[in-house]
Amino acid sequence: MKELSVMRSLAVVGTLLLVGAFTTFAGDVTGKVAFKGKSPGMARLRMDADRFCKIAHKTPVVSEEVVVNKNGTLKNVLVYVKEGLAGKKFTAPAQKAVFDQEGCTYHPHVLGVQAGQEVEIRNSDNTLHNVHTLSTSNPSFNAGQPMKGGKLVKKFEKAETFKVKCDVHSWMGAYIGVFNHPYFAVTGDDGSFTIKGLPAGEYTLEVWHEKYGAQTLKVTVDASGKKNADFTYSAN
Amino acid sequence: MLEQRARIPVEQRNYGMFYIVFSAILFLGTVWAVWDEVSVRRPWKGYQSQYYDLLYQKLDSLKSEALSAIDSTEAAGLQERLRQAQGALQSDEYVQTMDQKNGLLRDLDVATREWRFARSRSDAAFYQYQQAMLAGKDTSSARVEVDEEEAAIAKYAAEMDDLQKKISGFDGIVDKYQGEIGRIEVEIKKLFASADSYNLKLERSEKSSLEIKQVILPDFELTPFSEVKARIDRCQTCHLGWNESVMAEAPQPFTTHPLPELLAKHNPETFGCTTCHRGQGPALTEGFAHGEADHYWETPILTGVETYATCNTCHSNETVLKYAKPFTRAKQLVLENGCYGCHEVKGYADLPKIGPALSTLPAKTNADWIFRWVKNPTEYNAHTRMPNFRFSDEQAEAITAYLMKIGRESEFQYERGRGAWGGGNAAQGKQLFQSVGCQACHVIGDDASVRESRGTSHDPAPELTRVASKVNPNWIMDWVKNPKHYDPATRMPSLRLSDGEARNLVAYLMTLKDGQSYPKRSLDLNNEEKIREGDRLIREFGCAGCHTIKGMEREGKVSVNLSDFGKKKVEQMDFGNTLPLGHDSDVDYQENADGTVSVKHSWGGWVYGKFKNARLYQTERIVQKMPVYSFNDEEIRLMRAFLMSMTRDVPIATYQRTFDKRMQNVEAGRRLTVRYNCIQCHTLEEQGGYILVKYDDPGLGPPPLPESQGVKVQEQWLHSFLKNPTTVRPWLKLRMPTFQFSDAEIGTIQKYFLGMSKADLEIRDYSSTPVEVRYLKPGRELFETYQCAKCHPSGNVNLSELSASDLAPNLALARERLKPEWIVEWIKDPQKLQPGTRMPTFFYEGVAPDGETLGGNVDEQAKALTTHIWNLGKKK
Repeated sequence: MKELSVMRSLAVVGTLLLVGAFTTFAGDVTGKVAFKGKSPGMARLRMDADRFCKIAHKTPVVSEEVVVNKNGTLKNVLVYVKEGLAGKKFTAPAQKAVFDQEGCTYHPHVLGVQAGQEVEIRNSDNTLHNVHTLSTSNPSFNAGQPMKGGKLVKKFEKAETFKVKCDVHSWMGAYIGVFNHPYFAVTGDDGSFTIKGLPAGEYTLEVWHEKYGAQTLKVTVDASGKKNADFTYSAN
Repeated sequence: MLEQRARIPVEQRNYGMFYIVFSAILFLGTVWAVWDEVSVRRPWKGYQSQYYDLLYQKLDSLKSEALSAIDSTEAAGLQERLRQAQGALQSDEYVQTMDQKNGLLRDLDVATREWRFARSRSDAAFYQYQQAMLAGKDTSSARVEVDEEEAAIAKYAAEMDDLQKKISGFDGIVDKYQGEIGRIEVEIKKLFASADSYNLKLERSEKSSLEIKQVILPDFELTPFSEVKARIDRCQTCHLGWNESVMAEAPQPFTTHPLPELLAKHNPETFGCTTCHRGQGPALTEGFAHGEADHYWETPILTGVETYATCNTCHSNETVLKYAKPFTRAKQLVLENGCYGCHEVKGYADLPKIGPALSTLPAKTNADWIFRWVKNPTEYNAHTRMPNFRFSDEQAEAITAYLMKIGRESEFQYERGRGAWGGGNAAQGKQLFQSVGCQACHVIGDDASVRESRGTSHDPAPELTRVASKVNPNWIMDWVKNPKHYDPATRMPSLRLSDGEARNLVAYLMTLKDGQSYPKRSLDLNNEEKIREGDRLIREFGCAGCHTIKGMEREGKVSVNLSDFGKKKVEQMDFGNTLPLGHDSDVDYQENADGTVSVKHSWGGWVYGKFKNARLYQTERIVQKMPVYSFNDEEIRLMRAFLMSMTRDVPIATYQRTFDKRMQNVEAGRRLTVRYNCIQCHTLEEQGGYILVKYDDPGLGPPPLPESQGVKVQEQWLHSFLKNPTTVRPWLKLRMPTFQFSDAEIGTIQKYFLGMSKADLEIRDYSSTPVEVRYLKPGRELFETYQCAKCHPSGNVNLSELSASDLAPNLALARERLKPEWIVEWIKDPQKLQPGTRMPTFFYEGVAPDGETLGGNVDEQAKALTTHIWNLGKKK
């Protein structure tokens, strides 16, 4: 009995040490993007042009240009480290990011990927879609996907934030942000974000929204701490 | 001391000292002379050694970079493998094999020798045999010997064969060892390849000696006495790095020559340097070579944008030069501003007049306006091309009187009766103006966006801000419906406005009146003397150079010939009352605080001043007639470079570019498209599309690329389209105007497009293009699968549901309009043929989304779709 408890406590200490070792030299930045003011009314998307799209939705679909969550935060805001990672090179993750066309809208509306990371573009609709990237640093392309289940894998090599549109359905639009490093996030339904594993140092954090533009904030991450960074956008 | 010397008798005086001193002086003088001659007077030697030093440093650093870039573990690994492979040569297997092989080789040597001996013996034996036969003796023994030797030959030959086989049997093993070493060595070489190449270059540069480098072109040009003259260029002696790519960041004179593509076509080794850059080729010192130290050298070196001026010595016929974009602009400026109306300019003969016809003015405007315009055009339209003649009031009145007189005598009538313009809606007219495409050429108000996008200081068409004070509405109606009715040579096109649209437009334009009122002037228009004076003035100042005026069709060019102006000596130029600026001044022209003007008293300075203000050099006694233009700085510099190119020196024909039929067609097309200003909307030869600044709807792509029309559309369709444009994209409000081209002009345009795609005009019967029946069904299926009908209507389309930017051309038109080969290429990769188009790439990276139909083969699917589309247009 005594040995078992000794073993158990040893295991706990060992795990704690391991965890401690991994997080000793890196910090996290968490925060929220709040929205002040009345949420602007979003236009309804008229999908009459395509029969499939029209019948795909039972309830009306509104534009995702500004999505204000129930807790007063803003969704689809890109958060990323703008300065402070000078000269460092990061290898792209092997995991593919997914960019889907479903119900004649793009999912997700705002996607963050790393330069060199593969993006799998899917068509989950039984209608013709095309993905037309309006990028300037990366070569732009316009790939058609006429059939359901079509998959296309693309890589973006240069850091850039650009719009993606569909030439068949003019109401469809999304944004892809490509970064040279893995320290980025997109706010979700609760308006919060977490950037994990930032080495200690001084950084400039930037948030970007498609309608309300960009805001920056300087943060200093210390060796083992958690840093909090909150942003606020206002309606005007 | 001299007294002492005087006392010694002359014969006994010692002259040793003198001898030594003077010898020393002579010696030192000789040494100095040699030093001066070899080194001081040959500064190029200094430059060359400096160059080689720089080159060595650069190559060295590149080599170190290349070496450090090599992955040291990989290199070490390869070395280790090499060592092992070489060590393997000591192994038993290899040693034994080699021993056996060598033994066999020795045996082969012996066998070969014996075989040869046997052959010679056989020859001898055969001789004896024949001798015996001829002599009639017994041949049997000789025969026996011959046969014996033949047998020996056969035996040794067989032995040789056998040995060869055995030896080659070992080759496999030998190769395993030797080959492995070879392969590793190749890999090592690859790894160190770039470092090695730099090493090689280093060795070569170390061995280079200091010497003069020259290019001799024996039969280059003709002297003014028509004798053949050679040209010798020694520029490379100091400018050694012109062809060395690693010296791209070195300082002058060691740096690499820019524009390698241009250099590839004009190789300095066979073309010389001074052909393009001017300067004194045979000189070896900087001041004399560049011409600054030698005031008598007529062609000093050209710098900056002026370097392009020499392009014209061989390319004077061409208005677009791919690698000389600033000079292309200069030539287009000359075409647009019509300098050739008054001056003879080499290469600019037979061009249309740039101004409107003046024979029927009363139908358009009134005498007051004409008077104000002739006095000062920029007061009405700040960005007009018409220059200011600085006429006095009396002169302006006389000219107005003359123009009104000939106008009254004309038989011009409006096509529609007076008052046909009434009842239009000005608000709708404004919308029409902004959407149909007028804004591509006409500006209303202060909008400079299109002008700036194009980079000129003038507008291609009159500003309409105050048009209602100039013209009468009957005229606008007539003009807008059919411009060539009023002026057959105009470049204004018809926008195919319906009568209702035209009335709306007139209503809108008539709201654009003058903000100010002018003092009422009483012009004496019927005075015979004034009219005669007007006639005389018009002829004197050469208005007919730009305007067609009745009665003055045969007037000559009123001013000097500019074809040799580039060589005009500054001593022959009159600087009037301007003050001189020093030769080292940065600017050519300066307006002083006290109202005087200073100009650099050089050729360049005179020309700059003349373009800035053509009457600058006018004094009390010397009157000038050139009117005053309002060019901006950049335009003046470009046109000055153009003037610099105007010389009569032309190299011998072998050095010139042949102006073949294709180039002639292309050139004629270029001039036509500049005249009709196609580049305002379309992009031609990488220039143009300025209209997009105003219409920047993301749904709107750029207008079609004219150059690709040679391979895209059917020739007959293009002809009928240019004659009478039809609507290909009905949702677009912007219209391709009807330019009312003559058949000859359409032919020029078609030959231009074909020349650009290097194709020939082919008349094909497209309607009888064979249809491959096996593609019909798959084509129809693919059409459904790929849902082309989502964007492309084929037949009548209901526009209400779809928004404008969702639509694509009606496919029923394809059969009449497009070339089938082009359709196939378009379907396969639209972005290649028209970058940025909204047509998606279905066959992305060569893979068909539908992997089953026709085996997923991209070519087959594209052909099937084309067949189906071709069928859609078939008239039932």
